[in-house]
Amino acid sequence: MRPRAIRATLLAACISASLAHAEDGAMPAPGNVLNPAPVNPSTAGRWMDEEGMGTRIPAARSPIGRLYNMPLDAGGEAPARDVPGWINSAYIEFGLVRSSGTGTRGIPGYLDFDSGIYLNTYALTAEKPSEARFFEATGGAAGRDDQFHHVQFGRYNDWKVTAWFDGSPMALTSNYRSLWGGTGTSSLNLSTLTPGGGANAAATQTAIQNALAATPPGELDIVRRRAGVRLDSHLSTSWRMFASFVDDKRDGARPFGMVFGGGGGGGNFEAPQSIDYETQDFVAGVQFAGERNSFNLRASASFFRNGIDTMTVQNPLFVTLNGTNGLSPSLFTQGRFDLPPDNEAFNVKGEYAHAFPEFYRANLTATAALGSMRQDDKFIAPTQLALTGGTVAAGGASLANVWNTPDALSRQSADARIDTRLADVGLAMKPASALDVRAKLRYYETRNHTEYFACNPLTGQWGRLLNDGSGLSIVTANTTPGANPAGTSANAYNTASCSLAAVMAMNLAPVAGNIPIASIPFDYRQTLGSVSADYRVGRASSVNASLEREVMRRDFRERDETTEDRMKLGYVDRGTIEGAMRISYEYDKRGGSDYNTNPYAAFTSAGFGPAPAVNTQSMATWFKSIEQFRSFDLADRTQNIVNGRVDYSIVQNLDGAISFQVKDAMFPAEFGRTGRLRANSATLDVSYQSGSNAVMYGFYTRQWSNMGQRGVHPNGCVVGQTYYFFSDGRVANANTGATAPATPPGTTLVGTQPVTAGNWETACASAAATSPLFPESRAWEVNSHDDNDVLGLGIKYDFGRMKLDASFTRMLGRTRIGYKYNAAALGMTPLQEGLASRGLSDLTFSQNILTASLLAPIDRNISVRLLFRQEIGKIRDWHYDGVTANPVPANNTAFLDGGPVDYRDTLVGIFFQVRTP
Amino acid sequence: MKWTATLLLAAVALMAPGLAAAIPPEATYVGEKTCIKCHDVEAKHFGHTQHAKAFRQNPRNELEGRVCEACHGPGSLHAQRGNEKKREYLVGFTRDWGTPLDEQNAVCMSCHKGGQRMHWQGSAHDTAKLGCSDCHNAMARFSANGLLRAASVSETCQTCHAQQRADFRKRSHMPVPEGKMSCADCHNPHGSTTKTLLKADSVNEVCYACHAEFRGPMLWEHAPVRENCMNCHAAHGSNHDKLLVAARPYMCQQCHVSPALHAGQFFRGDQSARSQLSGGTPNPRMINRSCQNCHVQVHGSNHPSGARFQR
Repeated sequence: MRPRAIRATLLAACISASLAHAEDGAMPAPGNVLNPAPVNPSTAGRWMDEEGMGTRIPAARSPIGRLYNMPLDAGGEAPARDVPGWINSAYIEFGLVRSSGTGTRGIPGYLDFDSGIYLNTYALTAEKPSEARFFEATGGAAGRDDQFHHVQFGRYNDWKVTAWFDGSPMALTSNYRSLWGGTGTSSLNLSTLTPGGGANAAATQTAIQNALAATPPGELDIVRRRAGVRLDSHLSTSWRMFASFVDDKRDGARPFGMVFGGGGGGGNFEAPQSIDYETQDFVAGVQFAGERNSFNLRASASFFRNGIDTMTVQNPLFVTLNGTNGLSPSLFTQGRFDLPPDNEAFNVKGEYAHAFPEFYRANLTATAALGSMRQDDKFIAPTQLALTGGTVAAGGASLANVWNTPDALSRQSADARIDTRLADVGLAMKPASALDVRAKLRYYETRNHTEYFACNPLTGQWGRLLNDGSGLSIVTANTTPGANPAGTSANAYNTASCSLAAVMAMNLAPVAGNIPIASIPFDYRQTLGSVSADYRVGRASSVNASLEREVMRRDFRERDETTEDRMKLGYVDRGTIEGAMRISYEYDKRGGSDYNTNPYAAFTSAGFGPAPAVNTQSMATWFKSIEQFRSFDLADRTQNIVNGRVDYSIVQNLDGAISFQVKDAMFPAEFGRTGRLRANSATLDVSYQSGSNAVMYGFYTRQWSNMGQRGVHPNGCVVGQTYYFFSDGRVANANTGATAPATPPGTTLVGTQPVTAGNWETACASAAATSPLFPESRAWEVNSHDDNDVLGLGIKYDFGRMKLDASFTRMLGRTRIGYKYNAAALGMTPLQEGLASRGLSDLTFSQNILTASLLAPIDRNISVRLLFRQEIGKIRDWHYDGVTANPVPANNTAFLDGGPVDYRDTLVGIFFQVRTP
Repeated sequence: MKWTATLLLAAVALMAPGLAAAIPPEATYVGEKTCIKCHDVEAKHFGHTQHAKAFRQNPRNELEGRVCEACHGPGSLHAQRGNEKKREYLVGFTRDWGTPLDEQNAVCMSCHKGGQRMHWQGSAHDTAKLGCSDCHNAMARFSANGLLRAASVSETCQTCHAQQRADFRKRSHMPVPEGKMSCADCHNPHGSTTKTLLKADSVNEVCYACHAEFRGPMLWEHAPVRENCMNCHAAHGSNHDKLLVAARPYMCQQCHVSPALHAGQFFRGDQSARSQLSGGTPNPRMINRSCQNCHVQVHGSNHPSGARFQR
């Protein structure tokens, strides 16, 4: 048999020899801020090899024309196969670091910057070539929050075990003044303040201000620790298997919040959330690769456990109650969260590929997957308080001891489940030597089986307690005269013993139309079909085109179905210039079924009975949105996207590249996300190689984008009222038939609109010049414009005795938010208008990172390295304007996170690199 | 007629793929030692790679035992004096050598097909005419694992994906520059069933790999959260806190109107904590965490009273 034929046969029988990495359950060898690339045991601490790759200096180019990096000196030849025994090597870089600066980590801060002894990196290897056995251990930052370790051992081309550990600290704020002890636990107790507030709201506000003034700012952070182990093994020439386990733990705290009272809130403060998460993932699979067939089967199980599934927080505020009578604000000394529940997820996925070389070199792929996400946490009682003496304001039903027990719930545990299914089929063919065609069909669905009715079996009440009982959202029968038969009790629904059918059979109008009475099992089904073709027009150039249609069907959203058609044209040229050009244009158009602004009626009190369109009744709660409003994820949209990239070899050792993206999306809706959304990015890259003594690179990226939205500040929609619209945008109202409100000076009356039992739905649903609920004069507009500039420079230079490796990154980001509004229409005072007209300060971010190290070899096995790293950051975020000076700007509200602070962190270090001969 | 034939031939030549640099059938294997006589520097670096160790120490078949020639093809013709620069006598993986991209990739895929490369054909990178050796360099151990062209997955990807490189430097970003994750934690660059080369079947399933606390399902779900995390979050980096795509409260107001309550109200600059010092009326929706000051469990709540995500 001729060698070429032998080769073809053996190649066809060759297995997938690459042992998996960065794949299911495995994490690429980790690093940290000082070592963002995983430690390479062959080249750790070494400089570029002056011999390069041998045949070319600078290095050769990849197929698209980019210069390959200069290889690092690997320290000589690898051991030959016939060398007996184990061959070991060790490398360590350790030393001292000293950090200085503001003492606050950059936000988010991922680096453990503490001064002291620092084991920066290490690499241990052992190899027994005669048996193809190997062992490698690498890592760094030992003992620190951001440490990382990676171990691999096994037998080449046979089996391998990988184990790794990674720590990742994340500072979320360094400007948080805590009022509690016990942060990070399930119980936060006020350190000095009285739970439930003082004598009144004003006194409480003063007490909190004083407590905060005496509290220094501190840090809230989370540390993530992940560890994993994975086995990869060839089972035969065609089969291999893998199995892995990953344990992921997170501990710490983050800024959170808490509110008391009813709709709109009766007091809020920035409590910290305690984090004690653990996720354990198990993954296993088999793979087959044959001459014509390939097959993957993968199964996974993931278990999330929350070590703090409920968190009780003592309340420092004197809150405002809502919807209840007979209770004192001081009763609400604490509140309780039900934090993310324990959950499990399972998935089985099979992939199959079959080649038909004799049929236009076709290749068929098919994928199927089944998944399930579940949780069955036991529910907690809506409140821990007895609420003795408390009654529902409407109807007077007692609240005492009927909500502080899980018996107050329609079920005791969640029994929540979402199943997923995936089916994906693709066929690729080569009908002509220069033509490739491909077709694909994908179906993905989620099925939500979760069901919960918010009804208290002890009382028959629908709805829920709010915020531990400081507020109520209970569905009562409407007692507005005329809404229901005379004598109808507000508590009429309670007699139905939580039977929804019985409630609806009563045909009684509810007090409001927007009270949730059942959970909504959102799910969706995605069908995606595409055809594409790629035609070679030259030796190294091709044009490609694709058509794609995506249909999304959703349950219980504003649109049952959206359809998006996408057309893409592309051109790739790797031969015309010394480099490569790629450009593509994509046009997308999304539309769909009719938009229903309130698809949730069946899950709210609106479904209990007719709307109570009687005089004095506000109908606002029967509307969820403006008729012309479109949620952006469902809205019609057309989109144009141009992507381009040119890689060019300027001269033999100098590369340049220009890349860009222009995205222009049009949202035609009148309200919601509106107008053109533009997002553009352009980058210039330059890289230079002068052999092993000098490598330089630089890049600059400019990005700019803008987004617009419109809304209407709602007014009112009360049956029996007539609304008067004035030329300056103001809206007033009076009882229909009564004396009209006075026309404000300097204005004229431009229109009126009465609201009646017969016209409230049409009169109030849409935004219009004379809409009582959504008058256009109260429309507002917000535009957000982002600008970003990133500059990166890097140099590696060999001075002979010393070697410099330095990089600098500068980032400037700015978001400008502007708005338009009618102050008169919104009833703003001159003071408010004056303050609002200044707008919002720009949200800005700047960051400079300079890293430089000087490497000086002492002898063949020992080197000393000096390290300097400085990171300077400034963040200005208008959300935090004035918070540090004014953390309690009103009664019943306390903001404890002063926001990001400027930081300057400098790290200097001296390291010794020691390696075995 | 002659011109017609010439034009037709020219057209066919244009239409045809580049001439495959097929190694002539008379080429034979010469063995690694012959290669090393000239390519000792390459061999020095190559020896530290996984390919070299696997092929030299535990070849699974005769072809792997050929080491260099397992990928480059039988080298007897290339090794003859005077033939060193003749492209058709060897399979090369650099631009200058000129081996057609299809043939280069076919060599790699002859062993590395299946597995996570099952969906390579027609994938974004395949359509962009990337060769395996655009991202990988099997001739030296540049990276700890994966035989990448650069020291890390992220550095390799950012050779082309400059926009994402800039995104990772924004105020809030995935910890890629910090070495705590890489592009391959979310993407499979070799192809997947999704258009954006995600490792899992949907965006959310990718996110749940690190953020399992949001997986639920929750008793009270937030529709855009359940469908796609990227409705609210940017995938790589953002000027806003928490990788949000827009500033709160305005981001929330792109879906929420709540005519009877406050979601649709106009929130403005006189409502900050600073403005209160000048007589303004503060509004928690314009301060600190904005809507999430109260609606803290924005990803969904399991509390029986959590329909509005406050507990």
